[in-house]
Amino acid sequence: MLNKRLIGVVTVKNGWAVQSFGYRRYLPLGKPEVLVHNLDRWGADEILLQCTDRSHPSVGPDFELLRKVSDLGISTPLIYSGGIRGREDALKVVSFGADRVMIDALLKNAPADVEAVARVLGIQAVIANLPTKNAPEGMLLLDYHSGHEMPLAEAVKLLPLDWISEVMLTDWYHEGYSEAFCMSLLAASDLLRKPLICFGGISTSHQIRALLANDSVVAIGVGNSLNYKEHAIQALKKDLFGVAIRPPYYESSTL
Amino acid sequence: MNTKMNLRCVRCLYPISHPLGLVLDESGVCSGCLIHEEKDRLDWLERWRKLELLVAPYRVESGKTYDCVVPVTGAHDSYYIVDTVKNRLGLNPLLVTYNKYFNTPLGIRNLANLRIQFNCDILIQNINPQAVKRVTRTTLRQMGSIYWPCIAGQTVFPVQTAVRYKIPLIIWGAHQGIEQVGMYSHEHEVEMTRRYRKDHDLMGYEADDLLSIFDSLGEDDIWQYRYPDDADLNAVGVRGIYLGNYVRWDPKAQHEQMIQRYDYKGASFPRTFDTYDHVDCYNFMDIHDHIKYLKCGYTKITDHACREIRFGRLNRKQAQQLVKQYESQPLIHLQKFCEWLGVDERGLEFILNQHRNHKLWTETYPGKWQRKPETDDLVQVAAMPESGFLGFESHTQLQMDRDDAYITVGKGYP
Repeated sequence: MLNKRLIGVVTVKNGWAVQSFGYRRYLPLGKPEVLVHNLDRWGADEILLQCTDRSHPSVGPDFELLRKVSDLGISTPLIYSGGIRGREDALKVVSFGADRVMIDALLKNAPADVEAVARVLGIQAVIANLPTKNAPEGMLLLDYHSGHEMPLAEAVKLLPLDWISEVMLTDWYHEGYSEAFCMSLLAASDLLRKPLICFGGISTSHQIRALLANDSVVAIGVGNSLNYKEHAIQALKKDLFGVAIRPPYYESSTL
Repeated sequence: MNTKMNLRCVRCLYPISHPLGLVLDESGVCSGCLIHEEKDRLDWLERWRKLELLVAPYRVESGKTYDCVVPVTGAHDSYYIVDTVKNRLGLNPLLVTYNKYFNTPLGIRNLANLRIQFNCDILIQNINPQAVKRVTRTTLRQMGSIYWPCIAGQTVFPVQTAVRYKIPLIIWGAHQGIEQVGMYSHEHEVEMTRRYRKDHDLMGYEADDLLSIFDSLGEDDIWQYRYPDDADLNAVGVRGIYLGNYVRWDPKAQHEQMIQRYDYKGASFPRTFDTYDHVDCYNFMDIHDHIKYLKCGYTKITDHACREIRFGRLNRKQAQQLVKQYESQPLIHLQKFCEWLGVDERGLEFILNQHRNHKLWTETYPGKWQRKPETDDLVQVAAMPESGFLGFESHTQLQMDRDDAYITVGKGYP
């Protein structure tokens, strides 16, 4: 069985790594490349660099930031998200050092372009981000630009899911808050039929253990709470003893 | 004129270009002011109980070693921290201090008095002053900082001591990121991390990042500034907590208590009204403050004024006037620093001009620089406040009754 993964998420706004709370309220953290370097040293299984303010068509991906990250020479696989407008952007993002790309707006705005991205990078390098929320009327998918929500069951029919390898199920409403991820969102796995990365309001090991017990969940994204304590990734992994996940790693210059 | 660089919080005076990062909400209030509101909202008695529970497992019943490491200086909240740790929490701390070599006689006196008043053991780290000077020259050239070695030493020596003596708990005072820009909620109970130290305290440069084939700095110069390995930290279980997450942190009120109870002494500075912070250093409120102006466009008076606005002891207009008055005051200890480092003032000025923030400054003529216009340029400059403004008392001068010169303790003279 393949190991499951713990993904360190770095959210970037206006060039700064930030703590995000429901993508509505932010607190400053520092330089994104320093956070990425730290997660690499801590032995995160994967790092997601999500730039939240790159979606205007004239902006595009943050290549300057990717260059800084590339200069670090990290060994942890890197996912980049933010401002990818199509095949050319995706190719350039990978040429700047990202291993995989995460796509959001493109899924809805230009599904055919997602296929083009997957054909050039390989499906394994394409992840879909689906910001969802559980409501009385069922699961809703949010369109960040318009602010409109539509039933996930309907949206799924329009999404080019054949061209993506994994879906990041983002509980955007609870994102950033402690132990707030809505477990009932996991029901989306029946609709999506893709390996899931869960993100948004996940901070504790018992919550992660419960999520990873679901066969559809292959990875967990953790953001804000990784910045509160030293060795936060290692502490989570230590508490996840028995789960199919890489053991904690502590860097040593004497080894 | 209201450009992105000089966009400021509508409540305090911090610009969005604050080096720690600052977020404005939709009404223009900064993250620092919003998090400060927690000081009047949280149940601090409950938070104190959380602190008591947190430290309980670290109490060494045998009394054969220390319960915790507490970093101190001859200024800057040290008395309050030690009083809280020793007298209120009942812990037995090992005090540690890094000798930054810019010591004022008042700072040395405050530190000696601290040790006597609280009857604690203290370790002092004296790095080879020649190495410190070499590192200072490099950081001055590379990042326009004379203070990198001081901050690097102050932030790493306690951690090295914790590993070496196998004392897992380090207790710091307030978290600068919370106090200034609201980086975290107090309820996040953020702890010391190597990432924060590198990112903010050290401006992105750890000790090994200073080494370059284009510089003469060597391994022998920087090794004492290295952070302990993750494996060593984990083996001892080292963690550093901040009292500011559990105690309603108010530096002015705290210093006033410490003056009354333990004879802490303050002194006046030409560039701020706060007489309590940084009285242990000739350079922090002088050349270091000037460098902050060149790079960030504001000085320590803005930090102090913002803090006092948030506590409701100053209004924004008064604060703006104070900033205008103080931030342009001339330096008075520059010559001492130049002599210590072995540079002349023109040479230092040349290097510092390489690090001026071009978004904030314009070179109008070779070597002549002008601050770009700001939205608050029309603020009237008020008269310099009287001694004892807002209750900040000055008890002596930095040099006290001695020569106005650095006090060098430890390895070597000068």
